[in-house]
Amino acid sequence: MLRKFKGLSILLALTSLLSLVLIGCSQKESSNDAEKGNKEPDENFIESGMPIVKNPLELNGFAGKFIASQEWNDLMLWTEYEKMTNIKIKWTTVQNDQLAERRNLMMTSKEYPEILFANAMPPTDILKYGQQGVLQPLNEYIDKYAPNFKQLMEKYPIIEQGLTMADGNIYSFPTFYDPEFLGLRIGGTPWINKELLDSLGLEDPTTIDQFYEVLKAFKAKDSKIIPWGSAGGIGSMVNYLRGSFGLNNHGTANVYLDLDPTSNELRFNPTTENYKQLLMYLNKLYSEGLIDPDIFTVTQQEVYAKAGEGNYGLIHSVDPQTLWNLDYYVGANVLEGPGGRFLPLSSPLGNIGQFMITDKNKNPEASVRWMDYFYSDEGSKMFFMGFEGLTYEEDENGKLVYTEHITNHPDGINLDQAVSLYLMWPGGNYPGFVREQFFQGAESKPTTRAKAEKALPYAIDQQDIWPRFNYTLEENDQLTAILTDLDTYITEMRDNFIAGKVSFDKWDDYVKTLEKMGLKQYMEINKAAYERFANQ
Amino acid sequence: MQDTTSDKVFNVVNYIFLTLILLLVLYPLIFVLSASFSNPLYVLKGEVLLWPKDFTLEAYQKVFENKGIISGFVNTFKYTTIGTTINVILTIMAAYPLSRKDFYGRNVIMALFVFTIFFSGGLIPTYLLIQNLGMIDTLWVMVIPNAVAVWNIIIMRTFFQSTIPDELRESAMLDGCGNIGILTKIVLPLSLPVIAVMVLFYAVGHWNSYFQALIYLQSRENFPLQLILREILIQGQTDDLVQGTEESLIKQQLSVEGIKYAVLIVSTIPMLVLYPFLQRYFVKGIMIGSIKG
Amino acid sequence: MNKSIENTENVQVHNVANPKVSFVKSKTKWKAIRRNWDLYLLITPVIAYFIIFHYFPMYGIQIAFKDFIATKGIWGSPWVGVKHFQRFFDSYYFWRLIGNTFGIGIYTLLVAFPIPIIIALMLNEVRIDKFKRTVQTVIYAPHFLSTVVVVGMLLLFLKPDGLINQVIALLGGKSIDFITEPAWFKTLYVFSDVWQTMGWSSIIYLAALTAVDHQLHESAMIDGATRLKRIWHINIPSIMPTIVILFILNAGSVMAVGFEKIYLMQNTLNMSASDVISTFVYRSGILEAQYSFSAAVGLFNSIINFIMLVMVNYFAKKVNETSLW
Repeated sequence: MLRKFKGLSILLALTSLLSLVLIGCSQKESSNDAEKGNKEPDENFIESGMPIVKNPLELNGFAGKFIASQEWNDLMLWTEYEKMTNIKIKWTTVQNDQLAERRNLMMTSKEYPEILFANAMPPTDILKYGQQGVLQPLNEYIDKYAPNFKQLMEKYPIIEQGLTMADGNIYSFPTFYDPEFLGLRIGGTPWINKELLDSLGLEDPTTIDQFYEVLKAFKAKDSKIIPWGSAGGIGSMVNYLRGSFGLNNHGTANVYLDLDPTSNELRFNPTTENYKQLLMYLNKLYSEGLIDPDIFTVTQQEVYAKAGEGNYGLIHSVDPQTLWNLDYYVGANVLEGPGGRFLPLSSPLGNIGQFMITDKNKNPEASVRWMDYFYSDEGSKMFFMGFEGLTYEEDENGKLVYTEHITNHPDGINLDQAVSLYLMWPGGNYPGFVREQFFQGAESKPTTRAKAEKALPYAIDQQDIWPRFNYTLEENDQLTAILTDLDTYITEMRDNFIAGKVSFDKWDDYVKTLEKMGLKQYMEINKAAYERFANQ
Repeated sequence: MQDTTSDKVFNVVNYIFLTLILLLVLYPLIFVLSASFSNPLYVLKGEVLLWPKDFTLEAYQKVFENKGIISGFVNTFKYTTIGTTINVILTIMAAYPLSRKDFYGRNVIMALFVFTIFFSGGLIPTYLLIQNLGMIDTLWVMVIPNAVAVWNIIIMRTFFQSTIPDELRESAMLDGCGNIGILTKIVLPLSLPVIAVMVLFYAVGHWNSYFQALIYLQSRENFPLQLILREILIQGQTDDLVQGTEESLIKQQLSVEGIKYAVLIVSTIPMLVLYPFLQRYFVKGIMIGSIKG
Repeated sequence: MNKSIENTENVQVHNVANPKVSFVKSKTKWKAIRRNWDLYLLITPVIAYFIIFHYFPMYGIQIAFKDFIATKGIWGSPWVGVKHFQRFFDSYYFWRLIGNTFGIGIYTLLVAFPIPIIIALMLNEVRIDKFKRTVQTVIYAPHFLSTVVVVGMLLLFLKPDGLINQVIALLGGKSIDFITEPAWFKTLYVFSDVWQTMGWSSIIYLAALTAVDHQLHESAMIDGATRLKRIWHINIPSIMPTIVILFILNAGSVMAVGFEKIYLMQNTLNMSASDVISTFVYRSGILEAQYSFSAAVGLFNSIINFIMLVMVNYFAKKVNETSLW
């Protein structure tokens, strides 16, 4: 027995020694390719207008894409833009689901390119790589060479707040959803079946008590009717009512945090009495069969499939008219509850890590200008609508719409696929400025806009919205450890309380458990992050 | 030889039992087939029970629309045949020596092999190694890094040990046969069942694999079938990356329901054909009787 | 030549204190090695493969003890010792995860292991070849179904108004909440696993059964033994080495409860029974790629699995002749 272990251990020791020597030697220490702090752009660079450089410049880029077969080096969006800018990007692309894995491997083997585009890089990675010098800080370049983006930043302070990392630097460009694009921004209210309401002679509910009565009436009318359903799970329902119970007065980007209205202190809302009231209200509804009984297990596809029958009294989903041509749904009201009457919004900043420049990039100014164009009107138009005559045209009202060629492609493919022959935005993963006049999704439909306008008076103010807080690396380290447990527990308990599997008598145990999970530390870290944000 | 009554009872019970199992397995398989030909809306609503509802070839159309399908099939076929050949040969080359009791060091070597089942350096060092060997995006990365599976070596070794009697080997050696001769002239011909099993296991492994290709292949013309099929499924799923919802994305999600089943049928049929073909090798060994006496 | 065969087979490799015998033993050891030189040659390519593709990259295990930063590489990333393991052990859910993972693993082992054996034994007795071939091919097919499809079907059949509950209603019972009830989770998981893998797993036993000595059966039949008796006394012992080896190997996978299927079957209401180590790690990495943490947890899993294997192998050695080493 012993002898076998001896042989084993000798062999292992030898191989690990061997690999140590060989692999260790073959990994060259990272040579600092970039000339750091090279303040002056080279002669080739043109400060404004098109092209961006005098002589053709070639850069390498790595990006994530939605349609696997899309070949970016042939894509019209890029070939045309190259003609305009004189900058050619040699693209290496992967389908979005392998993005993170591939990027990590690229980073490890140090074979990353100059530009990272549509990378959906998590904030922690941005900070990590930024502090390592792998990503170049963009603050100065934005200030000098990105007039369009700079303008946006000045109009909406939340952009700078959300992009600035804990070390004070901005390393990336984000996906930014225009706060004026109501249909996209204000989506938290459900659709209500107006026909059903009218047939029962009921008024559009404005308080949570009226809401309850309406649901009961729906249910009583026909057993096939599901009074309240959701394609986003119970989460959408909870978010709809947060404002009515006085929660999340500064938005849902940091969903557990808001400001206590009396003390003006940062507050952890899952332990508040208000939150308990919210859950109790939902529990009452659920136990009386007023909420879809499958709400905790049903998939989005199943809900969309069922929605076609028109049996949902209220539903959180994409406009039923777009999906199924059901035109009798309208937006529901924001409800008044014990906590007030307002609708929290999410941050208009989507993914912030969508365009980054690495230390290998010797033309940061040109690269920044290259990206900045897409935040302008003409740039947005080209990015989302494409090329006049071919992919879009102006209709009688002066509105931009896709051409027949796109909406009814001769090959029989759907809209996304047709668009993807020329552009890359389908899938939703890109840096850019998403505006109503250029974005042709369901959110720009008049019905969706009307629903958003109905809720607008109660939506929280744009300047009150908090972006997702940014943390230092140490803070983030501690946070991830706490959050995994915290998230799991809060979500599990939320559903168990609502479903009635756990009685509200156990609420104090629930609070105590959360405290045991490191709630105090969680709040300390977030107070620090909040202070950094507030002092910007 | 007459069956006793208890044997007759046993027979009946056996057939009933196996038929029940057959039906239990068959029903969901028929469901999958029907679902692939049904309107996905009805599948989602749970209204497809046995036969297709609202018969449509749309799912299969979408699958075959994908331009990579043909090359995917060809590539997978290539990787599978070359890979399986390498696999089976190497497995034999390891299993036979390990099955010999007089092979000094067999236990140490076995332990070293087994150790690798549990402990591995992970994706990153392996990726770097493959990169340094210049195998990225080549045929070799699909057949070399997974050249042998320890499980299969063990199974083959067990088979050799328990079915090839020592006396056979000894008499062969008396006749002047060397180790290699014993392997080729005696052991292998008697081991057709386990070789058939190995071919099956490895071939299926190659046929179904996609992760290796996902990480190590870059050019689409090298992609195996599973990767191509996966693309169209991914495009119908929501992602954490996508913030807004889009109409055609939703419609695509719905059609994915049907495509899922069509993809399954398309990728599985060749494997279902392979097994009956290999089954004929599961015949009783010819030799055992000849030894006695 | 005969003499040398005899020599090696008579000298047992035991721990012997006597130096003179050791000397003789080591001489015969080298003789044995030299005599079987072609066997060593034969296995060398395979050993080379393992060294290059498995042992070489093993330095990557360090990731579990470091804070991996991609651009610093494995060697350059900072060492943090057992920090990740500590984080895992300190989790509020640690015991639940261990309990669920190990519970599902053992449940699977005890239920899913014997069934393919029984099926193989029964199929082996079928004399109508067409029936045998049909059953074999059909029950082997589910192995190829993707997890997504299998779980999709499972959930569809188990819905409150799904097929299974309809049958229950017909029989006069009350609808069961299969999907959200924690008590049902492990059973559903294990039995759907059995459904999917029993055909595939029976193949190896069917192959092993082809090597059963037909003459033993003949003489048993002459002695009047029933089929059942013959299966019990001849077939099973004949394939026992295969059974034991596969049992040992399966014991070494007890903590390897796969991620995908659990994730698809999981929901907030059955989490107390369905949350396993792999899904927990997945959730913790959702915001950013937590390489080091998942490497640490993975290493922990592997160690437990390895210990299980070694233990079961040890018992197997004590109890019978067959074992891995």
